[in-house]
Amino acid sequence: MTQQHILLFFISVLFTFTINSQELQDSLKVKEVYGIRVGIDISKPINSFFNNETKGLEIVGDFRITRNHYAAVELGFLDKTTNEDYINFTTKGSYIKAGFNYNAYKNWKGMNNEIYVGLRYGFSIFNQTLNSYTPNVNGTYFISETLQPATEFKDLTAQWLEFVFGMKVETFNNLYLGASVSLNKMINTKEPENFKNLHIPGFNRVFLNNTGVGFNYTLSYLIPILKKNK
Amino acid sequence: MKKYIALILVSIITILSCEKDDICIDTTTPSLIIRFYDNDNQAETKQVLLDSVWANSKENIYKNQTLDSIIIPLDLNQNSTLYKFTSNSIEDEINFTYDRKDIFVSRSCGYKTIFENLQIDSNTSNWIKNININNSTIENDTAAHITIFH
Repeated sequence: MTQQHILLFFISVLFTFTINSQELQDSLKVKEVYGIRVGIDISKPINSFFNNETKGLEIVGDFRITRNHYAAVELGFLDKTTNEDYINFTTKGSYIKAGFNYNAYKNWKGMNNEIYVGLRYGFSIFNQTLNSYTPNVNGTYFISETLQPATEFKDLTAQWLEFVFGMKVETFNNLYLGASVSLNKMINTKEPENFKNLHIPGFNRVFLNNTGVGFNYTLSYLIPILKKNK
Repeated sequence: MKKYIALILVSIITILSCEKDDICIDTTTPSLIIRFYDNDNQAETKQVLLDSVWANSKENIYKNQTLDSIIIPLDLNQNSTLYKFTSNSIEDEINFTYDRKDIFVSRSCGYKTIFENLQIDSNTSNWIKNININNSTIENDTAAHITIFH
């Protein structure tokens, strides 16, 4: 009887010790990684592959500043031909977006996922080429011929603000898959003469009220620089 | 987090539903408006029986109608349009000349053509007594550009 009690005592002591030691190890292990994350938007090359009239590339990067704040930047290039009912034009240019993300997702221990909201300032420099147009006339008494002026409007610019919402998931060690949607609002744009910036690299299609929508799907790699305790 | 998702969804729906620029609702290429006046009393409009109105080698726009004003399109592929007006079996022709200018309207409407420097290059005066150009720039369909006295 006493032997059994002694055994039970030792087992429970050992058990509590192992639990305690595990907790101790865990609290040491939970370190958060700070570093530079670089990647590409995989949707744009895929889109270029299936659509002959669009060529685009976007490189994304972010840098963790505090536990929940990331400085983020996107660099991209676009060459896209848009065909509308009465006009056909090509937009060609590059853009930069810079801002920050705030991670609102509370990770479990050891997880590094993000659901974030962010803000960006976007700037683009581009050319528009009016390939062809057909003057719009009501009725069919005189049918207008399609004209091909190929007028190139050079050195156009645009500045805008973006509200971003997205998520990033660590799939393998330091490899992230991300998706985001952005709502864009134009600050100002240099318009071509007798034409309009209907599509802007980075901003995408310009809607009537000078707003735009953007999507991206990113594959990025985290280069760890330092590890901090939580 | 749920608040953010709701906000994003509402914003996207708002933006997409605001997409009015898919359908052309703006005014496009204007036509020439002609009003008929009495030659004896030049302040008064006078109706005319038009047997036919047509541009050279095309079908009739008006046929057997009594009107005091007509709207006729101008050829936007060249700088002149020849019109023939027949009233009570008497034919008159007017050759309009003009300069064309294409103005950007919107994404869905594209460009419209406006006509400037409208002139009457030549005309016959069998039933038409006098022609007056009120406005040599045709950029809308709101007021008469030409007055014909008969």
